[in-house]
Amino acid sequence: MTTQEVRLCGLLLQEHFGNVVEKVGTHLIRSGVLTLRALAHETKLPLDLVKKSLCVLVQHGMCTFGAGRRGPAGPVEYRINCEHVFHMLRYPRYIYTAKSLYGDTGELIVEEILQRGHMTMSSTVKTVADRLTHNMPEGQSMDYSEVVSVFSQLVETHFLQRCPPLASAGSSSSGAVDTPLPVATQPTEPESHPDCYKLPYINLTGQGKRRRSSEDGEADQCAAKKARTDNSECGDDDGIYWQVNFQRFHLHFRDQAIISAVSCKLDQSSSEIVRTMLRMSEVTTPAHAAFTQALSANEIFRALLSRSPDARPILDQYLSLLVDDPMEFVGKTGDSGGGMYVVNLHRALANLARATLESVVQERFGSRSARIFRLLLRKRHLEQKQVEDFAMIPAKEAKDMLYKLLSENLVQLQEIPKTPDYAPSRTFYLYTVNQLPTARLLLQHCYKTVGNLIERRLYETKENKRLLEKSQRIEAILASLQATGAEAAQLTEVEEMITVPERQQLESLRHHINKLDSSENQVDETIFLLKSYINSTQASR
Amino acid sequence: MTEVKVKKESTDPVDIENRIKELCLQFPHGITDQVIQNDMPHVEVQQRAMAINRLLSVGQLDLLKNSNGLLYRLKDAQSASKVKGSDNQEKLVYQIIEDAGNKGIWTRDIRYKSNLPLTEINKILKNLESKKLIKAVKSVAASKKKVYMLYNLQPDRSVTGGAWYSDQDFESEFVEVLNQQCFKFLQSKAEAARDSKQSPMVQRNSSFATSHEVWKYICELGISKVDLSMEDIETILNTLIFDGKVEMTIIAAKEGTVGSVDGQMKLYRGVNPIIQPTGLVKIPCGLCPVFDDCHEGGEISPSNCVYMAEWLDF
Repeated sequence: MTTQEVRLCGLLLQEHFGNVVEKVGTHLIRSGVLTLRALAHETKLPLDLVKKSLCVLVQHGMCTFGAGRRGPAGPVEYRINCEHVFHMLRYPRYIYTAKSLYGDTGELIVEEILQRGHMTMSSTVKTVADRLTHNMPEGQSMDYSEVVSVFSQLVETHFLQRCPPLASAGSSSSGAVDTPLPVATQPTEPESHPDCYKLPYINLTGQGKRRRSSEDGEADQCAAKKARTDNSECGDDDGIYWQVNFQRFHLHFRDQAIISAVSCKLDQSSSEIVRTMLRMSEVTTPAHAAFTQALSANEIFRALLSRSPDARPILDQYLSLLVDDPMEFVGKTGDSGGGMYVVNLHRALANLARATLESVVQERFGSRSARIFRLLLRKRHLEQKQVEDFAMIPAKEAKDMLYKLLSENLVQLQEIPKTPDYAPSRTFYLYTVNQLPTARLLLQHCYKTVGNLIERRLYETKENKRLLEKSQRIEAILASLQATGAEAAQLTEVEEMITVPERQQLESLRHHINKLDSSENQVDETIFLLKSYINSTQASR
Repeated sequence: MTEVKVKKESTDPVDIENRIKELCLQFPHGITDQVIQNDMPHVEVQQRAMAINRLLSVGQLDLLKNSNGLLYRLKDAQSASKVKGSDNQEKLVYQIIEDAGNKGIWTRDIRYKSNLPLTEINKILKNLESKKLIKAVKSVAASKKKVYMLYNLQPDRSVTGGAWYSDQDFESEFVEVLNQQCFKFLQSKAEAARDSKQSPMVQRNSSFATSHEVWKYICELGISKVDLSMEDIETILNTLIFDGKVEMTIIAAKEGTVGSVDGQMKLYRGVNPIIQPTGLVKIPCGLCPVFDDCHEGGEISPSNCVYMAEWLDF
């Protein structure tokens, strides 16, 4: 774990779960694998606090445990999955995707499950129905069956999945056979469970209950939060917990990026074709495959017919255009069935990562440096004179730009000696760009940037704490006055307790915080592209 | 008995020289000593040598060396008249410069070839320059280096740098202007193709332009004072490719179609970038020059970052 990653994890844990969890979490990240006792000893926190923090982390799937180095007889060891912590950055994007695909119901389901980590289906349905009913006009209420249908849709398209069962849970009732705990180094893949996407057969009927405003809302996120046991009776699906399938969401984002790239580069119809192809191979393609499953042109035509009747020869033309494009989004693998086509996922990701790198260089150093950078990406190794000639930039300026890029480590120098002593006058110096290490470098930059943004946000909030508290008090007073039916004069009097400059300050603070929030999401997009490219390259090696 | 007087052929030196000159005319590639000997067997070695030396000094004969031995060639009458009045050294230097052709030759190289001291060389060069026989051309590769070549020769491209250099200065504005013009041409072609709403294959093919078409367009625009060849235009189009605005394909073309080189034609097409500027660059941190020095609690930190403060108020 790099410094920046640890720092970012710490900030995210603190923001979502509080100081105690943050302390436990960062210590565990830094140390790798630890037993409970060691963890408590080193963080100097009381044992039960450590236990509760670990519970929170396990609940959200960020911490895994298993038999340690001393084998099944020794103490259990815990480790943190950093990637999972970074997913917290992306929660808004997941929720937004669910909303765009499945409407408000889907949005709320995903939001609830993200908040709680693991949930049973019945409790999810009940909570979501209650929330929806709360927002509906008086007299209407949300039926459970609608929520159930959206839930099952989410499961069918693999956005939600069952949490992998722990071996010890099965043997807890019968003490006869001691099933060994899973080893800490190999967490069970949720997908290895055969019933991963099977909905439990439960009988859920009823409607959402409207909550009175005087009742307390859900307990807000606090340090040691556990899954709240519902007041309602135990459902039939006790023990079957559902979690969000992050990988599926990531595949969806990746597909979206590819489709938008195709539509930018070519045109709308081509992107529609690529979208259809990706949708058809959604559930059949393994996660880190370099290509999708091969699809025949006939199948694509049939799938497209449902959207807009495109004439068959036009489809063929579009497909051949896609194949001929230098970006190589789509490839042709055979001629049966009118032509077998695949989407080149790895190639597309590499192109997107490359475009990201180029855009960073362009924005940071100018378009001429970007020209040099692209030139080196294409031509691999070039001498300085050749760089000047190809890029048509005067020698002095080209030299300056190259050295600047070199100092920022975006460009590397390769020495090729003519003589065994590396005499400078008798050595070739070639400039080159390696895409993978540069992508990793930029990824670390992104992590640091997000850390900076979060810290700035916290700083801004801290600076204006007094003002925020005052405004909160005023709002509470206003709300209570309104509830008890006060006159307009009293209300305005209370409102005027906040002076105009203070109001302006509050306004600008809100503006700042919003901007910082939205920019976190923007940087997260870059992080996602670079990370997918790095993972895809490593998987294909 | 009358004495047969074998009339010796007149060994008049002038006759010998004329005979040698005639022989040279007969063999324009040059004659060896052997040939002269065969032709005039009665002439003694010394006389032959004297005649040849005289012709050389007058400048009517050229002395060359090849693998077999020495060759004598009749010098061109015109060039013979040019160096009349110069002495041997100057002639030697002039010859060296002439041999260098249109690439020119550097003073140090002249010194090596002629084995003359530097001061002499400089004097001779100045002399020749004043007589307008040679000229000095500044090389674009090393700006202090001067190469000499014959006065009426056009310097080679490698010395002057070709169309992009005027007086050893790289004309960046000229290149920029050409860059913009080519890009606009290709972009308008691509847009016209897109608006035509024909079948996609036809659309794509009509958005392509061959390098020949671009070359014609630029020539007709008339923004260039210098004549530009198709290779020059192709280097400009390559820079557009490196800008990411244009892509190129090569197709096979029939020999003889206009603009084809070795049976291939290069087609260029304006393209759009595949992503919008990425998220990282929308933040000041992505562009910050002191990014590496920034950490919490330091002089430069997110909390007191000036760039962020300005950006937030935007």
